[in-house]
Amino acid sequence: MMWSWIPGNWSLIWQLTWENLKLGVLPALYGLVISLPLGIIAARWRWFYPPTLTVVNIVYAIPSIALFVALIPKFGLTDTTVIIALTVFSLCVILPNVVEGMRGVPAAVTQAATAMGYGPLRRLALVELPLAIPVIIAGLRVGVVSSISLASVGQLIGVSSLGYLFIDGLQRSFPTEIYVGLVLVIVLAIICDLILVAVRRALTPWLARS
Amino acid sequence: MVLVGPSGCGKTTSLRMINRLVEPTEGTILLGGADIRARNPAQLRRGIGYVIQQTGLFPHRTVEDNIATVPVLTGWSRKKARDRARELLTLVGLDQDLARRYPHQLSGGQQQRVGVARALAADPPVLLMDEPFSAVDPVVRASLQDQLLSLQAELRKTIVLVTHDIEEAIKVGDLVALFRPHGTLAQLAPPEELLAAPADDYVAGFVGFDRGIRRLSFVRTAGLVLGTGPVLPADATVAKALAAGEPWILITDPQAGTPRGWADAARLGALPGDTTLGQAAAEPLGHTFTVGTDSLRAALDAAVLSPAGQAVGVDGDGRVLGVATFDQLRVAIQAADAADDREGPRS
Repeated sequence: MMWSWIPGNWSLIWQLTWENLKLGVLPALYGLVISLPLGIIAARWRWFYPPTLTVVNIVYAIPSIALFVALIPKFGLTDTTVIIALTVFSLCVILPNVVEGMRGVPAAVTQAATAMGYGPLRRLALVELPLAIPVIIAGLRVGVVSSISLASVGQLIGVSSLGYLFIDGLQRSFPTEIYVGLVLVIVLAIICDLILVAVRRALTPWLARS
Repeated sequence: MVLVGPSGCGKTTSLRMINRLVEPTEGTILLGGADIRARNPAQLRRGIGYVIQQTGLFPHRTVEDNIATVPVLTGWSRKKARDRARELLTLVGLDQDLARRYPHQLSGGQQQRVGVARALAADPPVLLMDEPFSAVDPVVRASLQDQLLSLQAELRKTIVLVTHDIEEAIKVGDLVALFRPHGTLAQLAPPEELLAAPADDYVAGFVGFDRGIRRLSFVRTAGLVLGTGPVLPADATVAKALAAGEPWILITDPQAGTPRGWADAARLGALPGDTTLGQAAAEPLGHTFTVGTDSLRAALDAAVLSPAGQAVGVDGDGRVLGVATFDQLRVAIQAADAADDREGPRS
């Protein structure tokens, strides 16, 4: 461990951390945006879910590097390729949670909402989605953390992230770089996870004292 | 109006047709003379209160916001809706302090009251209640039923209540619709008629073997003949009590006239004749009945529980008016049968 390497490379480390954060958070957010309508449809029309889940699971089985390769002809060696691939993966963990969250709303509650004169849209926005928040955010946490760690793989096609430190450290037989990269990926994941926990708490005050 | 019947008889389905949660395959449902299918379902439902067994309270809203749901939906300001919510909390017998809590912080009985308050919030003329009291323990259930009756006496809504409990149907219903399995109507009648004249064996069986006694709940004690022979104040002497020739003496308070207890004449005989009754040992009363307002069922129960086998009738202030023996109760029951008295002490 060569501590002096760290202060000498501050700006590089910062830049890579920032890139990695972007590659972790954006795919999870896009995954959420796509999962919400799909999940809502799947929760309402049950037949829609099994085929969707099958497709999503098969996609999840594709190795990330293979997915990059498949996207390169269209999007090149860019951030976009990595973000699309990671979005697809995060979709795979977020979608099931959206569906489970929606299904977890007690039938008595949705029935009462309908009986009191909520139309389908208002019921969705004011009753079902708020109640599904804890489960959806649980999925989002897994999505963000896995995107942050998967983002490193993007380095293989030249998209910069903390993965640079792994590859460079390996090539130069310089373990300090690898350790720094590893710690930063973990710290980044933990910080994002804690932020999501805080968001969940803020959005679900009713769960505070149970 | 109470819909009662076994599981799967269609009582809940019938109820849900009224607010269009279920659409009828044929026939017409009129509400205030108009076909409900002519109206937008969401609009229709905002004018019909709805209470269900599992309460269906919104876990993510405070008690006051739960109650304010329909007013807010219909465009009231949040402030006005919350004020109304607090009014309703009081109306259903809950403390205002609960307004800011979430449903899961309340007991089952309190949640059910909030459910009723929420249904009443927009002051709908019609209230639908689907097994509203089935999920709470018997003591809470009885108090919720009593509260429903007193609310109804005040608000005069059209309430349709579904239950599988015939006791509940008879207690709270003005009119009871008893269903057979598979959705046919067995009898539609006021509860006292259901008990007195069941349409067939199915109804008689469903109503239960003790329907004769339960029917007495609907017969007033106003016509009951009371005896005053065994009633003596505590300052009377034992000699005077024995002279009454009664097997049991009811000792009353000399000033207030309230009952103190029963004394066994056989035991009084062992005491000196100039002792006062107040010094003699007395057995507890069991309970009394209020003449005029309590039912014959209460009077009969008082007689069964009394050591003397006699029911003590009191007035509104608790003063003893007299006692009724089993024989006198039997005469009153037969007279009620003869008069086919359908007016009971119902609220």
